[in-house]
Amino acid sequence: MSRKGPKRIAVASPQTRLAMARRSAVRAEAPHLGRADLERARRIRRVQLRAALTALALLTVVVVGLPLLLAALPELDAVRVAGVRVSWLAVAVLPYGGLVAIAVVQLRRAERIERDHGEPR
Amino acid sequence: MIGSAILLVVAITLLIGARGVAAMRTTSDFLVASRRISPTLNAAAVSGEYLSAASFLGVAGLVVKDGIGALWYPVGFTAGYVAMLALVAAPMRRTGALTVPDFAEARLGSRRLRTLSAVVVLVIATLYLVPQFRAAGQVLRVVSGTPYWVGVVVAGAAVAVTLALGGMRAATYVQAFQFVLKLALFVGPAIWLVATVGPTVRAAALEPVEFTRFAHETPVQFRFGTTLTVTEPTTVVDGGAPRQLVPGEYPVEAGTTWTFPTGADVPDVGGSLPPGGDAWTRPLLDTDGGGHPVLSTLSLLMALVLGTMGLPHIIVRFHTSPDGRSARRTAAITVALLSAFYLFPVVYGTLGAVLVPELYLSGDTDTVVVALPQRVDDGPMGVAVTAMLSAGAFAAFLATSLGLLLALSSAVAHDLLPGAGLRRLRLAPLAGAVVIVALALPAVNIDVGVLVTAAFAVAAATFCPLLVLGIWWPRLTAPGAVAGVVVGLLASVGAIGVDLFLGAPEGLAASLLGQPALWTVPLAFAVMVGVSLRGRPPAWAAAATLRLHLDEATT
Repeated sequence: MSRKGPKRIAVASPQTRLAMARRSAVRAEAPHLGRADLERARRIRRVQLRAALTALALLTVVVVGLPLLLAALPELDAVRVAGVRVSWLAVAVLPYGGLVAIAVVQLRRAERIERDHGEPR
Repeated sequence: MIGSAILLVVAITLLIGARGVAAMRTTSDFLVASRRISPTLNAAAVSGEYLSAASFLGVAGLVVKDGIGALWYPVGFTAGYVAMLALVAAPMRRTGALTVPDFAEARLGSRRLRTLSAVVVLVIATLYLVPQFRAAGQVLRVVSGTPYWVGVVVAGAAVAVTLALGGMRAATYVQAFQFVLKLALFVGPAIWLVATVGPTVRAAALEPVEFTRFAHETPVQFRFGTTLTVTEPTTVVDGGAPRQLVPGEYPVEAGTTWTFPTGADVPDVGGSLPPGGDAWTRPLLDTDGGGHPVLSTLSLLMALVLGTMGLPHIIVRFHTSPDGRSARRTAAITVALLSAFYLFPVVYGTLGAVLVPELYLSGDTDTVVVALPQRVDDGPMGVAVTAMLSAGAFAAFLATSLGLLLALSSAVAHDLLPGAGLRRLRLAPLAGAVVIVALALPAVNIDVGVLVTAAFAVAAATFCPLLVLGIWWPRLTAPGAVAGVVVGLLASVGAIGVDLFLGAPEGLAASLLGQPALWTVPLAFAVMVGVSLRGRPPAWAAAATLRLHLDEATT
């Protein structure tokens, strides 16, 4: 029974750890970034912001465009696909396909930006 | 049977929690658990924590009550994670802050802002928790026949016991298990219902007719007092005695049951449409009958999409990701997992409008999910499926409530009353549970969806501008952030308070007060930017913002 494991330390849930660490609260301090890193971060921020705004624009098409379209075209209530009203499919099924697609595209794009702007080693 | 299914869920949850804690004793195990959690597992945990009673019961109930337009709720619940993915997931993780109060102090160095953020956490968590307790109380009442208050107190006790035993939230596995459980307990019964109801009901669900006549003799249990407007002479059975109703208004006391005969005209209830009518089938949401469905729908979506990133119990989950990149992946996978779940509330909603439309008379639409199985099959299978759904609803209630209660007590014990000992930290959730139970008791006739939407609206008008500007705009100053959060908080809480307590006015004002996000969010952003531009950010602000956009691997 003399199994030598790693040193045992107290383990707590993230909340408890957070709570206990709070006493020495997070201090705002100047982050240490070199001039080169600052430049690189500035470039990344700019490109990432553009990617994020594109994703938000696509999101707006789904959550603003679709309701407006359904309001403008009440005829869609009468059109049926496989017995279901198109206007019902447009709120019950269609948005989820769009949201997943936007999420995938945005994720790929953000990760590519980080790869492309990574520090040359 | 149904009671034991609920007990089983609580027991399994506790067991997995306890196993998870017992298994993670060494540092490396702990690191594996908390730092190398795969994005998929963490996304399941986020979804498990996120799918609350409002998703499990509330959406289907709102479909019966407000119509197909209520399906925009789950779209907004899901779309929130796309906004989170694009704007905050990775940079927020890189701040190392677990909560918005932490973020406020780390990014802007202001204790005042930290305290203010803690107050906002308190408001959001309370608005989110009250309807959870209410839903739990209602489910227990429907399945066991006990009075509402007993259900709420039992639910409060269940949360308190789970918290006291601990462990529940210690492991990401518990929340991930909760997601799988909820998905199975929601999708399985939905498929069974569709298969069992038969072709006639299926066709009727797709082509609903307005609920104007009772198709069969229908007992309606009024658990809340209401006023019915009878338009045709009808004979109802009121507690065993027949009662002749001539056209006119009738107050109905809480706790009475009226049985309507076959073919009787359905009376009108103030403020809601009968299921199946023309307005009901339109895919837009007309809250409070304000008559501005487009405006209401867009405002609701704005609150849900932008409010998700400010939910205190969700933000802390993202910290389990090892770095910004996997936090981002977690958000993306969460979109897919939630999408799978939210394809199904429509099944319960449309079937409910056909099979249990009378729930709209008694204002009990939140119970439509658990009421359906026994309407379809009065044998043991119906009881078994009701048990599955009740267990799922209870699991949803537990997961969300525990997360929120911990966020709430952490805000009280550490941001509002700093220097508190561990004992106070342990007591805070229990005290919180007592307060929430006390608030949930009088909230019996407010829909689950309404208060949850209010929580999102507050988050969208306060934390959304704080996080988005804090991450992307170096010129944000602490006074600007404080001003924006205060204005957003007062505007959204004020609008919701007027709507709830003073009663909604007519027309446009009803839509703007019932769904205030459309004007409160831009207002909060404008104040935050305007006040910030008049001041000067500290010299380190630019670097503090830029650091959040650097991939950890390369710094």
